[in-house]
Amino acid sequence: MLARLSKYRWQYLMILPAVVLLFLFSYIPMAGIQVAFKDFHIGGTIWNSEWIGLENFSFLQDDQFWVVVKNTIWIALLKFVFGFPAPIMLALLINEVRNNTFKRFVQSVSYLPHFFSWIVVAYILQSLLTLDGGLVNQLIVNMGGDPVFFMGSTQWFRPMIVASGLWKEVGWNTILYLAAITTIDPQLYEAAKVEGAGRMAQIRHITLPGMMPTIAIVLILSMPSLITVGMDQIYPLMNPANQPVADVLDTYILRSGLQQGYFGMATAVGLLSSVISLILVLITNQLARKFNGEGLW
Amino acid sequence: MKTSLRDKTAQVIIIILLSLLCVSVIYPFMYMLAVSLNVGSDAAKGGVYLWPREFTLYNYEIVLGNAVIRHAYLITIGRTLIGTFIGLLVTLLVAYGLSYRQLPFRKQILAYVLITMLFSGGLIPLYIQLNNLSLLNSFWVYIIPSAFSAWNMFVMMKFIQGIPEALIESAEIDGANPLRILIVVVLPLSKPMLAAIGLFTAVGHWNDWFAGAFYVSDQNLIPVQTFLQQLLSAQDISTVLGSNNNQEALARGTMLSNVTLMSIKMATVMVSALPILCVYPFLQKYFVKGVLIGSVKG
Repeated sequence: MLARLSKYRWQYLMILPAVVLLFLFSYIPMAGIQVAFKDFHIGGTIWNSEWIGLENFSFLQDDQFWVVVKNTIWIALLKFVFGFPAPIMLALLINEVRNNTFKRFVQSVSYLPHFFSWIVVAYILQSLLTLDGGLVNQLIVNMGGDPVFFMGSTQWFRPMIVASGLWKEVGWNTILYLAAITTIDPQLYEAAKVEGAGRMAQIRHITLPGMMPTIAIVLILSMPSLITVGMDQIYPLMNPANQPVADVLDTYILRSGLQQGYFGMATAVGLLSSVISLILVLITNQLARKFNGEGLW
Repeated sequence: MKTSLRDKTAQVIIIILLSLLCVSVIYPFMYMLAVSLNVGSDAAKGGVYLWPREFTLYNYEIVLGNAVIRHAYLITIGRTLIGTFIGLLVTLLVAYGLSYRQLPFRKQILAYVLITMLFSGGLIPLYIQLNNLSLLNSFWVYIIPSAFSAWNMFVMMKFIQGIPEALIESAEIDGANPLRILIVVVLPLSKPMLAAIGLFTAVGHWNDWFAGAFYVSDQNLIPVQTFLQQLLSAQDISTVLGSNNNQEALARGTMLSNVTLMSIKMATVMVSALPILCVYPFLQKYFVKGVLIGSVKG
């Protein structure tokens, strides 16, 4: 056995850094979950802190927490309902373009926002929507309306999140669909044309069915993200005025933990969301196994 | 001929829709560029939509003359270069090591990696661990915790396993050890994959604001995106102008009354986004390829 292991000493040496990194930044934090059941204060150690049972889970009786859960589900749902079909439709549209130069141009431009941070996107929103001199409000005023304080409105927060999410990622998410379309056998289209099928009929009967496996995979893979709705996107746009609808699990953990110092309570909330996302991932894998014949792992 | 007429109308409608999409992407950048190149007090009156009305470079002078921003820029460049290099190195090594299918305990090691993709301790335990390792408030908090990515590792491993075994075997017969094989055979063949993963890693580093906002309190360690995040909700201009070493700009302060918070913000955001806008056309072919290879085994 030792001889066999030493035969692979180079490989083990190469694997070592990753194993150590995972141990330090994934496994020790997993053990740190016990903070959820302890009275931990920064400065003390996790192991010396006192066990306090389920006291940290008192947030479950907090109305504020359930508002946060509701916000999380709302935003996740809206982002899914609009975000899932949009790239499919965009891919179909791009595929119908005959002019190859224009096609490539549209693709390049629509991928672009994916490469900018959510901070930059937040600035774009601010510059277009702000009260003093923002383009949208200027248009509203010019047309005789009253300016709207978009950034600080509970009414406009969800549409803003959904729209900016679409704007940033829709093009990027078409890449897989467009790739799927190129693998469809051109003979199918020829045969359909002979039988007199128009463009719409071809989309319905050939292109869409051809995209189906990819659509299913993307659908399955998007399930775990239902719980993490994107701290990166929401935090920069959140302010005291829109907080009643903007506060989600991630921002709640961040605020109660890192900003207010309730480490135990924030860890408990995090544990809950980790468990839910684990369940979602396991369901996802089952679905993939059913649909694909094999799971994702 | 009726179908061809319908067809032409459809084409026109599609082209109009897609053009609108392109405008919605490009226009905000042109708008921000125009505002940032315009005298601030003038832009505040409204009406600057596409071109600067009263052209000035003063907003950029203030932004680039600000020591905090310049320093944040250095931090961003530094972490992007070092972080991408170390990330690629760690990923390539482990992916290559695990690409040996006969490796004893390979399954267990893969499971060890996979588990971290399924479950995590969450933000707070990680934060406590970073604190225990004295990584908080250190430049290395940007580099070390994110040096390994399980996702990239699996993609890279699949790619290496696609390299014809005959190539590796012939090198083995020549007496090369695995490290040599990695450098001489695998590395040159993996260039497109490394380019794609490297690009995504680099963009991730460039765009990250979170670590700078919550793992670091020393203002000398924050990257550009974190600076922008702090500036986003700023209510008055002193956030930018109040910093030390901006005296030079303040000394020429006759123009200062013409600067607004918005014009400064727009200049700062353009400065942070321009590098990506500049390299983007050259890197396109790599990232599309990267997404496609990555999705083969999703």
